Amino acid sequence: MSSPEVSGISVDVDHNPYVAEGTGTVDAIVSITAGDDVAPEVAKAHGRLEAIIIDCSTSMQSPIGKFDAAKQATAAAIDELVDGTYFTIIAGTEKASPIYPSDGWPVPASAATRADAKRSVDGLRPGGGTAMGTWLAAVRGIVVGHPGMLTHAILLTDGKDEHETPEQMRQEIVLSEGQFTCDCRGVGTKWHVEELRAISSALLGTVDIVADPADLADDFADMMRTSMGKSIPDLTLRLWTPAGARIAFVKQVAPTVEDLTHRRVEAGTQRGDYPLGSWGAEDRDYHIQVEVEPAAAGREKLAARVSVVAGEEIVGEGLVNAVWTADTEKSAQISRRVAHYTGQAELAAAVQEGLSARKNGDVPTATAKLQRAMELAVESGNDGTAKLLRGVIEVDQRTGTARLRREVSAADEMALDARSTRTARVRKED
Amino acid sequence: MTGQAACPQCSAIGGSTDRFCESCGATLADIRRVAIPRGNAGTDAPCADCGNATFVDDYCSVCGHRRAEPDRDEAELGAVVLITDRGIEHARNEDAAAAGMVFDGGTSRPYAVALAVCDGVSTSGDPQMASGAASKAGVDAMLGCLAASANGRAVVLAGLAAAAKAAATAGTDPSNPPSCTYTAAAVVPTSEGTLQITIGNVGDSRAYWFPEEPTAPQQVTIDDSLSQELIAAGASAESEAVQRGAHTLTRWLGADAEAKPWSDSSVLAVTTAGPGWLLLCSDGLWNYLPEPADIARFCTGVEPHEAARALVDHALQCGGLDNITVVVFPIGGIHEFA
Repeated sequence: MSSPEVSGISVDVDHNPYVAEGTGTVDAIVSITAGDDVAPEVAKAHGRLEAIIIDCSTSMQSPIGKFDAAKQATAAAIDELVDGTYFTIIAGTEKASPIYPSDGWPVPASAATRADAKRSVDGLRPGGGTAMGTWLAAVRGIVVGHPGMLTHAILLTDGKDEHETPEQMRQEIVLSEGQFTCDCRGVGTKWHVEELRAISSALLGTVDIVADPADLADDFADMMRTSMGKSIPDLTLRLWTPAGARIAFVKQVAPTVEDLTHRRVEAGTQRGDYPLGSWGAEDRDYHIQVEVEPAAAGREKLAARVSVVAGEEIVGEGLVNAVWTADTEKSAQISRRVAHYTGQAELAAAVQEGLSARKNGDVPTATAKLQRAMELAVESGNDGTAKLLRGVIEVDQRTGTARLRREVSAADEMALDARSTRTARVRKED
Repeated sequence: MTGQAACPQCSAIGGSTDRFCESCGATLADIRRVAIPRGNAGTDAPCADCGNATFVDDYCSVCGHRRAEPDRDEAELGAVVLITDRGIEHARNEDAAAAGMVFDGGTSRPYAVALAVCDGVSTSGDPQMASGAASKAGVDAMLGCLAASANGRAVVLAGLAAAAKAAATAGTDPSNPPSCTYTAAAVVPTSEGTLQITIGNVGDSRAYWFPEEPTAPQQVTIDDSLSQELIAAGASAESEAVQRGAHTLTRWLGADAEAKPWSDSSVLAVTTAGPGWLLLCSDGLWNYLPEPADIARFCTGVEPHEAARALVDHALQCGGLDNITVVVFPIGGIHEFA
């Protein structure tokens, strides 16, 4: 099945269908691939909207050069805007102020508007507090006025969310979910990873540290280019499960770990929808675990039907079956990819728990968690995380003894935290 | 040659009794065939688990249970009756059977008959794929060959070769390829006014010939099993080793079989002038009726479908430990052939 608007989407299911008698846990890795031929006309038809929020709090003044780097990064992102893309630039302090256009209402990108916007950004001066919830609220207000547009925001900050309560910020995040996607960047080391992760995770974006302001411009240009490549405004994972079944979890496991279980929206009898956000030509993997009612050996049941929905159209489908057997050799086998991604999710959790224990001075827990993380990262070939872990924990290759490093750079630690959810891939055909 | 007829393929005119078009080589014979089990096609029973009536991709739309295939499939082709049954202990039917007949244009009597029974090896992966493919390919190849040659041995070997190839390529998981047994028969009238029954066999499915009394019923095939090899080497049929080896196959069809899976004793022939019953079956039947006379008893004074059903029901009553497949072909004699 394919829709005339969205085609080139494939769904692959990888699992061991054999289940031991008396049990009912079925695990599957579902890979969704949107090919190069995914029609970019879809996004054009609906329109595209970009918002760049640049932190203008007083702390952006120091060290010298940081604010200039932020302005240059914003200019670099503006340069990547494809003609016709609606855009707006917002200054973020304890409130959100429009910088360009001056009335805050987005205009289509053109050589003239891009130049005007860059001039306005150049004239910015930092001064004020930080209330990121109000920044999100400003973007939401624009989205409401531009229904159906593929909206993406870039949020840059250098500090902690100080001028609103955590509850206010949580509220704003909840209200913004599903309205737009948001990539978050922290510059320097005075901001809090978990604050930005709360935003990027809920708004289906990315989070990262840019320790050196000089790297901001390249990073902003990259983010904007990636966003310009997104051509499908919204994909939905629809899960049918048999009567009496329970969905243990639905997680994105590649390129990053993201638990989607609680995002379920009921979509009719035995059906639930999980929003996947906007898509370009890319592939993502999902780990689904379903508990079905056990059956006798020899019986076969459909444990889940996975549909990928664009608009109201089903554009891809995969089946997760379960076959009960008395042959334990068959049922004990774990799909290689299920095992791999189970390890990657454990790795992300071990890093976050280890770093949190370290912050709280709980050295034994921190050591144990980070050592386990190191094992998992090395075993699974997650070189990125393994490299970052080496900055925090030392493992004696000979004895296997681990100890926390005394001197840890704040930037290294934050990079490890921010990137902890990035997973190593295993390919289907390996 | 009595008349003329046009080839349906190329419209060339040839003799009405020609079996091949002289111009394009297309077969002019009327070929009919049947293969079982036929799966879920045409069934509309509700879900056996929850009673719901709708299925999507053969899965119940409420409880997800896969629609069970019918336990039994029966088919008839002329006088031939084929039955395959899941049995009681096995979760699915991994046996298969096929039959085909070649008719000359215009007559209701076949001039040749081809039969095959296959039993999937349950320790292999998806053996029903091998048994289904091998039985159909074997019969198809025999039918194609029968139109060209009345040499029973050549016909049966053509079937064996096609069945072996079909079984070897049937699987989807190369690490555990499906395998099956194969027992086939080609029945062809000879120029001497007799019928030649040629049997090809790999594995432990069997073919029997039950001629009219007082000639004793006979098992035509020799099992390719460990116990058969032990008996051939001099062991007693009642010995423990022979009993244990009864179901250990020494030959089979599949990707993991030998390149030429049949042996010199795989092709055997019976020539008959008088009537009798030809019967092919899987071990799901003969396990409960090991002697030829045990099975022959079911085949006297009844219609072929009654005999076939009674045999399958007997195996079920005895426990139905395996899939049960039987093909019976009562042969009235040479006059029944064209």
